[in-house]
Amino acid sequence: MNRVTQNLVLTLLGCAVLRISAFSTIYLNYVRPGFRPFLIAAGAVLVVLGVAGLFRSIRPGRFSPAEPHAREDGHGHSHDGPRVAWLMCLPVFAVFLVAPPPLGSFAAARSDTPPPRGHAVGSFAPLTGDGPVDMPIGEFIGRAWDDDKKSLTGRQVRLTGFVTPSKKPGQWYVTRMRIACCAADAFPLKVVVRGIKAPPVDTWVEVTGTWIPRTFGTMPNGVVYPELSGTSLMAVETPDEPYD
Amino acid sequence: MEDVPELRTDPRNTWDDGDRAVPPDSWGRDTAPGLSLPWGFALVVVLLVVGRSVLTPHLTSPALQTWATIFVAICVQALPFLVFGVALSAAITAFVPASFWTRALPGHPVAAVPVAGMAGAVLPGCECASVPVASGLMARGVTPAAALAFLLASPAVNPVVLVATAVAFPGQPMMVASRFGASLAVAVLAGWLWLRFGRSEWLRIPARPHGDGPGWARFGEAMRHDLLHAGGFLIFGGLAAATLNVMVPREWLTSVAGVPAVAVLTMALLAVLLSICSEADAFVAASMTAFSPTAKLAFLVVGPMVDLKLIALQTGTFGRAFAVRFVPLTFVLAVLVSSLVGGLVL
Repeated sequence: MNRVTQNLVLTLLGCAVLRISAFSTIYLNYVRPGFRPFLIAAGAVLVVLGVAGLFRSIRPGRFSPAEPHAREDGHGHSHDGPRVAWLMCLPVFAVFLVAPPPLGSFAAARSDTPPPRGHAVGSFAPLTGDGPVDMPIGEFIGRAWDDDKKSLTGRQVRLTGFVTPSKKPGQWYVTRMRIACCAADAFPLKVVVRGIKAPPVDTWVEVTGTWIPRTFGTMPNGVVYPELSGTSLMAVETPDEPYD
Repeated sequence: MEDVPELRTDPRNTWDDGDRAVPPDSWGRDTAPGLSLPWGFALVVVLLVVGRSVLTPHLTSPALQTWATIFVAICVQALPFLVFGVALSAAITAFVPASFWTRALPGHPVAAVPVAGMAGAVLPGCECASVPVASGLMARGVTPAAALAFLLASPAVNPVVLVATAVAFPGQPMMVASRFGASLAVAVLAGWLWLRFGRSEWLRIPARPHGDGPGWARFGEAMRHDLLHAGGFLIFGGLAAATLNVMVPREWLTSVAGVPAVAVLTMALLAVLLSICSEADAFVAASMTAFSPTAKLAFLVVGPMVDLKLIALQTGTFGRAFAVRFVPLTFVLAVLVSSLVGGLVL
């Protein structure tokens, strides 16, 4: 890998990072929204380094006396810079060729939802207004398990998520993945939907319905999901922010 | 060839490594720019353009897409930290005089190790940033053992990671304290062991481009150099971690959670395989409800010190001879110390 190529690879990777962060919202498929400034900064640094390096190596007049020291060799790799640096093209290939979508039902089927966490029982604000309430699936699950005022009772809510199949007949899950940092640590949040025929797996839907209050006194062993009695269903576009 | 004497007089480099001793023929010769056309890169661009229309419609299998999402996520998530770490490391080489470190750290290496470990608390980042910074410290003459203690401690004991741990384990301050204590203990012990038994020929202290141009030129050169070396290895680690993340089913984990010793080892191995950033691993550990607190602690202590992308980064930065000794040492220490701390405290 000669110096021109090294700088080209850095520029290419930087452009790919900027492409998914500065010029689109694709980065939301992989990391949290708050990560955007860091991605833009990292992409910009890569592009600046690459372009500056290209100028220095292409224009012989600007070779500084220090240039021979800077050759990428003498490190036990190869004489022309590390071959492993070619791997930096791989994420670019993945982004442009596979265009990885947000995690869907394949990933959701792989990991169990952790049981609801016992945080701040009863700290939920009462639901105001009338008509269906738009609610993140995570909040629905929290209200279903941990709200001692049972604020969901009798209320129409609208949940947005993708469809995952259930082994039991007559029901399916509306699912949203939750990520703490990046898609590698994602786990699914699922709500059982009854009363509506299951749409195709992985379709993004808005499902409206009412909570089916739990019928057991204490939490049974194993993973249980809160249930929704569905009344209407609408297919929607994949949201920009696909994670909960 | 005026650079060779200068490189050879560098007292910190051991030149017994066969393929580094003799400078390659290309040194000192300026090939005309026209002769070194980037053919490989041209191929990459052609593949991208052709693949976009030919391959993309066929790359739709859910398993492949899930794998690609996780792979890109790991790379995208780690890259800003790598760039930050590389910039900090380059700043250390280009702007901080070597004499600063001899004044800042205790003269005796045995005392320098814990001080360097504590200093890790001020670098707000994850493990991808700490490897280039540690290599920059070594290149600036800091005792390798102290730089290694810094390398191990900083991803686990900095404020960002501790706050994330506190958020993930609400109402369990002892988990945060144990993580801090156990990680620092492992880092200092590993540093001392390296000081006592480590040999300088195992560790390849990365030579830096020592240009004598203006500071900014040297800064850019050091950054480019580190990025090209560490970046490729980071991606390699991301490939391995994404593959295992998709292939290892989580269900069988719950079946081993009941046996204490096995549970601790399982969580420690899982931390290595999943390679989750140290700022996020607490949330993953908290979600593994079937496991004991000690096993979770092992996950939190091992993860920032040993994982696939770190092993790849360390191999690339410090050499294979270093990694095959240092990685098992750290892993065993981390498992032992976290079992001990977990048994006593949690």
